[in-house]
Amino acid sequence: MNHLTVESTDKAEFYQQMAQQHGTPLLILDCDQLVKQFNVLTEALPGVELYYAIKALPHPAAIQTLDVLGAGFDIASSGEIELIREQGASARHTIHTHPIKRDSDIRDALRFGCTTFVVDNIWELEKFVEYRHRVGLLVRVSFPNPNTKIDLSRKFGCREDEVSMLIQKAQSLGLHVKGLSFHAGSQCPDSRNHVHAVEQCAKIIDDVYQNSGKLLSVLDIGGGFPVEYIESVMDIESFCAPIRLALKNLPDHLQIIAEPGRYLCAPAMTSVSSVMGKAKRGDTCWYYLDDGVYGSYSGQLFDHVTYPLTLYSDIKENEMAVLAGPTCDSIDVIAEQVSISPLSIGDLVVGHQMGAYTSATSTNFNLFDKAKIVVINQAVKTVKNVLQFGKN
Amino acid sequence: MKTYSETLYDSYGQEFAVDKVYFENKTDHQHLIIFENAKFGRVMALDGIIQTTEADEFIYHEMLTHVPLMAHGKVKRVLIIGGGDGGMLREVCKHDSVEHITQVEIDAQVVEMCKEYLPNHSAGAYDDPRVNIVIDDGINFVRECKDRFDVIISDSTDPIGPGDVLFTSVFYENCKRCLNEGGILVTQNGVAYMQLDEVTTTAKRLQPYFADRSFYCAAVPTYIGGVMTFAWASDDLALRGLSTETIAERFAVANIKCRYYNPAIHTASFALPQYILDALAENA
Repeated sequence: MNHLTVESTDKAEFYQQMAQQHGTPLLILDCDQLVKQFNVLTEALPGVELYYAIKALPHPAAIQTLDVLGAGFDIASSGEIELIREQGASARHTIHTHPIKRDSDIRDALRFGCTTFVVDNIWELEKFVEYRHRVGLLVRVSFPNPNTKIDLSRKFGCREDEVSMLIQKAQSLGLHVKGLSFHAGSQCPDSRNHVHAVEQCAKIIDDVYQNSGKLLSVLDIGGGFPVEYIESVMDIESFCAPIRLALKNLPDHLQIIAEPGRYLCAPAMTSVSSVMGKAKRGDTCWYYLDDGVYGSYSGQLFDHVTYPLTLYSDIKENEMAVLAGPTCDSIDVIAEQVSISPLSIGDLVVGHQMGAYTSATSTNFNLFDKAKIVVINQAVKTVKNVLQFGKN
Repeated sequence: MKTYSETLYDSYGQEFAVDKVYFENKTDHQHLIIFENAKFGRVMALDGIIQTTEADEFIYHEMLTHVPLMAHGKVKRVLIIGGGDGGMLREVCKHDSVEHITQVEIDAQVVEMCKEYLPNHSAGAYDDPRVNIVIDDGINFVRECKDRFDVIISDSTDPIGPGDVLFTSVFYENCKRCLNEGGILVTQNGVAYMQLDEVTTTAKRLQPYFADRSFYCAAVPTYIGGVMTFAWASDDLALRGLSTETIAERFAVANIKCRYYNPAIHTASFALPQYILDALAENA
């Protein structure tokens, strides 16, 4: 994809309609895209249970849509639990993946009915002694990935050589470790680190069984499945093929789960903002949009992502421009020094692939309202949205 | 088909077919549901844990009521902590010798909801003139309480959640203070096979305040995983060892009809499985 595409104004009709109806700034959440991404990933990773990492886009419609498809949910805080509870998703299909928890976090999760937790150190293990008869634990192992934009093995995860010590410690405390988890990175360029991690975990699982007779039955392969922003990425089939091969070599009893967040929701949301003012500063035209890096474009700071943008103009000549957000802070710039057709006040700027880590990390700095999320193509709510029933 | 899965344990659990939902509330950070099940009648669950069912509640309520009341023999005043469904109140009200019952429930809505959706639990007991209903946290009530009782029954929820304070030393200490001489405290104490820690922890916490601490048992089908234990605490060591004959005489005088409790069950229920005795000895 290009960073910035200019299309003729007649292509803007849908967005103009939405903007007129709902105002801007706007985020359009297309549930069909969630369904498509879920199905594509399910096909690329047959036999792998998908737990949507709701932190990427904690929106009721996203949760309802994926719940109906049979997804589980990866939750990390009491707030996320509350959101899942409100949507009526089954607690049995949730895992609490935050490696560091307060006692109140553990209790909230247990009261909700989530009994799977992640640990990566002794102090965290000890927090579960009081609940040892109720929980099953996954030990998170660190597999640093220098090739990824976001290395998720720095802040969390124990070293490979610490796993057996942790499992022994757990056993001495009467705690049940049921498997391992890892995070190969986020938005990974290739799946080499996933494959490496799967192979290493297989060895650890075998060693643990040989040395202590302890059977581990779950392997959580995390997320990291890439989506295309500006730079093209490996297609999901090619990305997952080596992982499938690695998973094939695992013992049959092992259940594999994954925690996709970005991959499921990034393509499902589109940002619509409008030019609320403009100024000529030197040779550069500054356009001030009603959404910026403190809002829906927060991922440009926190998630290290640049989103593909579309502008609509029938004027052919270009000029140098800056697209800035609405706040008073000078860091609030979406695109620097781009060559685009002149825009008028009220013109729309559309951002694509903006489902993951966008509204989730937006602020209302300057007390600007966050972009309104409008849901389209949501299937009819089923009875599961009303009642907390088990999956049938 | 709709189902409800209990989420008490990670690796084991029970599931109910749901024929009809009567009530569901997902506010206040908790999830309460009352539904119809073909085998157990109306089932109430809170936060993924079965609280009570119409079909098997009699075992639980009869054992928490009649064991201490029959063992005591002259109970006039009873304090019930929790028990918003009214089942315990119903059983206590069967004793004509009881003159006064105070029930402390943390949430007035629970009482009203149970009257409406689980009417067979209280079976009109809330209208008994001997009953005084107090809406308060059980721990606050016993702290402030100046009244004295012959038997205190703690009918609490799971220790994770709103009922957690009813498993603390502070609660037991204050219960002791609220008991007349020779009084008895009994509490719901979980399914020992699944949660042995609850037994050893309670035993330790009762130890400073009562001369005699022990447990008695009954199997309640929907409290899955084996026998449920009830904690027993009193300063009168003789009360736990009364003969079946003595209990039978008192039971005959009381003229109460039960479906689980009888004098033989009464004395037998104090016999504990070896794994519980071992755990208690290890943690003594």
